[in-house]
Amino acid sequence: MKMKGLFVGVLAVALTLGLSFGAMAEEGVTDTEIHIGQWGPQTGPAAPWGSVARGTDAYFKMINAQGGINGRKLIHHMFDDGYNPAKTKAGVKELQEGTGMFAWVSGVGTAPGLSVVDYLMDKKIPWVGPSAGSLHWIDPPKKYLFAVYPLYYIEAKGLCEYAVEKLRKTRVAIAYQNDDYGKNGLQGAAEQLAKYGLELVEQVPVEKSDTDMKPHIMKLKKAKADVVLLWVTPIHAIRIVGTGKAMRFGPQWMSTSTCSDFPFMFKISKGLWKGVIAATFGELPDSDDPLLQKYKKEAYEKYAAKGERWGLFYYAGILFAEPLVEGIKRCGKNLTRERLVKEMEGIKNFKGIGGTINYAPLDLAEPYCRQGQKEIFLVKCLDGGKYEKLTGWWKIK
Amino acid sequence: MLDFLQTIVSGVAVGSSYALMGLAMVLIYKTSEVVNFAQGEMALVSCFFTYLVLEYHGFPFYVAFPGALVFSAILGCILEFAVLRRAKEPTILGMIIITIGLEMILMGFVSWKFGADPKTMPFPISPYDSVALGEVFVSSLEVLTFFVALAVMAILFFFLRYSKLGVAMKATQQNNMAARLMGIRTNRILMFTWGISSVVGCLAGLLISPMTMQPYMMWGPMLKGFASAVLGGMTSLPGAVFGAYLIGIIENLFGGYVSIEFKSVVAFAIVVLVLCIKPSGLFARHYVKKV
Repeated sequence: MKMKGLFVGVLAVALTLGLSFGAMAEEGVTDTEIHIGQWGPQTGPAAPWGSVARGTDAYFKMINAQGGINGRKLIHHMFDDGYNPAKTKAGVKELQEGTGMFAWVSGVGTAPGLSVVDYLMDKKIPWVGPSAGSLHWIDPPKKYLFAVYPLYYIEAKGLCEYAVEKLRKTRVAIAYQNDDYGKNGLQGAAEQLAKYGLELVEQVPVEKSDTDMKPHIMKLKKAKADVVLLWVTPIHAIRIVGTGKAMRFGPQWMSTSTCSDFPFMFKISKGLWKGVIAATFGELPDSDDPLLQKYKKEAYEKYAAKGERWGLFYYAGILFAEPLVEGIKRCGKNLTRERLVKEMEGIKNFKGIGGTINYAPLDLAEPYCRQGQKEIFLVKCLDGGKYEKLTGWWKIK
Repeated sequence: MLDFLQTIVSGVAVGSSYALMGLAMVLIYKTSEVVNFAQGEMALVSCFFTYLVLEYHGFPFYVAFPGALVFSAILGCILEFAVLRRAKEPTILGMIIITIGLEMILMGFVSWKFGADPKTMPFPISPYDSVALGEVFVSSLEVLTFFVALAVMAILFFFLRYSKLGVAMKATQQNNMAARLMGIRTNRILMFTWGISSVVGCLAGLLISPMTMQPYMMWGPMLKGFASAVLGGMTSLPGAVFGAYLIGIIENLFGGYVSIEFKSVVAFAIVVLVLCIKPSGLFARHYVKKV
């Protein structure tokens, strides 16, 4: 009887401890697994950017094949939101509240990201490397959000500085998508030009539904722009440059990193992309950077689906996830969200396949404490979609 | 003045592709009173089929393009025969819903088979070359589209007025039962109409594809074509063409002189306005039953 009582007592203690350990364990983390969520459009008009999520998937598979991180495998939960914010929100809630994610990585698009940022931050769930260079991620800075993608705003400033100082151009105009993405570019360009006492000679909004670009070209032509920044989707960018050629308007075209996948842009523009200058944020596809080559061999060649292209946005899925992987590694066995935030804040001079990554402890007065990569470089499209580097890694103020 | 001229010419140029889509929609509407929302995606499938044979199988243009037209005719006939005709006790609304379903299936098929990355169709004329009329420019491809649209309109107009099949089509639309009693095989007429309409849509698609192709490319032109057809009265071929040019020109004038932000939606505002003032459209004859 005594033995039985002891047994029940031990069992009760064990269960209590077990339960309390269970309650202490972080959501989305087990002894062998870490659950990471991600969205990306695999269908719909923004589907070309869906390769970001597939790149991350291959990267995680590569890490798992090498034994995972501190004995845990990365379980990647990716879903197609079709670049539709309503679907993004529904999908994120479903995965978070159904399966339970430890953290979120990348996630394509400003508008889809904006639909879930408050939800993730309220629940104190880390989100690393949104796949869009929007000011919203860091202004104001948020404890659990670590941006990687350099700001579109910074890219626009860099391009304007290059246009004025190196190319000696003064009549800069912009064709921008009439949403947050385009307006970030518009803001950066206007601010940078103001430093030289210049103004944008024309600013033409482009709607996503626009297919005929002649009125846009007429406005740019009338303004006698000698440099035109294209802050639009790749398809609109090609339509604008093409319509420009048909209407005999040939300024120096410049564009954002979203249009810097030159082999692709050159091909679908039938060679028209030659001569375009763009900002970019990662090693070039044909770079002999050893880390990029390693990813190509061990992630892309082993795990990419047939027909997948080794393009900028495919390996951007790796680039955006690298800091998260580094943060998880630094946590060791004791992986919690608070610990991850602390370790992420300690990342200094981290170099993956993008620019140097630095974070700092949260300071609400300093948005850049949550902006990992602050560098870009400029490239020019050559024949066949080849790249010419115009600058080295460049930190723009 | 030069800007104004350029705006008008640009409007006419862009109106041509709307006109072709509008003509395709009017054809089906004329015979069955069904608005075919799958019109754009039927053309999409034919265009991607053409892209496939040109890019991956090395077929020459003179084989691929006529092949695409034949393919699109067969596709149109098959869809009518295999899907629409199978609808039990069909109502107009039910048929329209079926075409919306078809639209989604066809677009899903193209996305699945060809992926979402944009592509470009090899074409004998560069979409980026232009013809100069003094200081006014228009791209060579748009000049071609303009003449194709006018030619198709003329051919269809004479076909419907003077050919036996054309007259049978009109009879089927005006009174299906009477047409059947007169010995017209109305089911077959409907199938042919879908085939012909699919060919016209395919022409529009082939002339849009040389710039960029992606699974969503036909949705916009289809909507604009529909707006043009509504403006012209849904049953009038010249009306659809006139409506298309009117929309193209107004869009460009609006974009140039009023607001470039709302350029794309102005077409639909015009349609609402016309429907309020003249519900049967600008060109349609209003049939009134007297007995």
